[in-house]
Amino acid sequence: MIMPPRLRKFALAAHITLAVGWIGAVAGYIALDVAAATSQDPKTLRAAYLAMELIAWYVIVPLALASLLSGLIMSLGTKWGLFRHYWVLVSLLLTIIATVVLLFETQTISYFADVAADPTTSGDDLRALGNTLVHSVGGIAVLLVILVMNVYKPRGMTHYGWRKQQEQRRASQRSKQDEQRKVSQP
Amino acid sequence: MANRPPYPGTPRWVKVFGIIVIVVVLLVVGLMFIGGGEHGPGRHTSSGEAGGQVAAFSVMEEHALPEGGRG
Repeated sequence: MIMPPRLRKFALAAHITLAVGWIGAVAGYIALDVAAATSQDPKTLRAAYLAMELIAWYVIVPLALASLLSGLIMSLGTKWGLFRHYWVLVSLLLTIIATVVLLFETQTISYFADVAADPTTSGDDLRALGNTLVHSVGGIAVLLVILVMNVYKPRGMTHYGWRKQQEQRRASQRSKQDEQRKVSQP
Repeated sequence: MANRPPYPGTPRWVKVFGIIVIVVVLLVVGLMFIGGGEHGPGRHTSSGEAGGQVAAFSVMEEHALPEGGRG
């Protein structure tokens, strides 16, 4: 079902807001992740781990799920479709992968926060805890690839998209011929 | 059906992208294999229980190992 223009604009604005918000939230998370990786100060480490959990659960995860949902609505509600163009299909797959990795990573983040929240955890233990930089930097790279792909929309139709396009062309040609026949008849 | 134009084929960027993805996945799997296959919060715990609290010394022990990488 194709959305009417006003609804489509609203859905597009919502999708852009959610997707770009997701990238921004991950950028903020990376700042905390870098602090967790480099700081030697127990107070900074404790604060970083606790803030990482809050940002991950209350900002990044909701934005990721909402972006995925709004992306599905945008593709199904417009001419682009979900499986017709490679750029849509690749964006969908990358978004699903990024969301699944994020959901698994929240376990590690929550574990770090649990250890950091424990007042008996020593400074040495906090310094030895670790970080999630590989996942967060990898995640933002994937999100930027999706962003670039959505802006440039590289050409290329899938087999399914090509077949559907040919069917639509044939149907429109047939209806034109029918109209011409009706006009030419006395 | 006879005058249907042939499918133009998969674009080059999709093929290049696919190759890059396969290489990255193989690299990640290889690194995980070299790292002993431990991944996720389990690598930070002594019992491998995801998200569980551990004694402080076990956290220290885990990261004292040279291959116990961060991230």
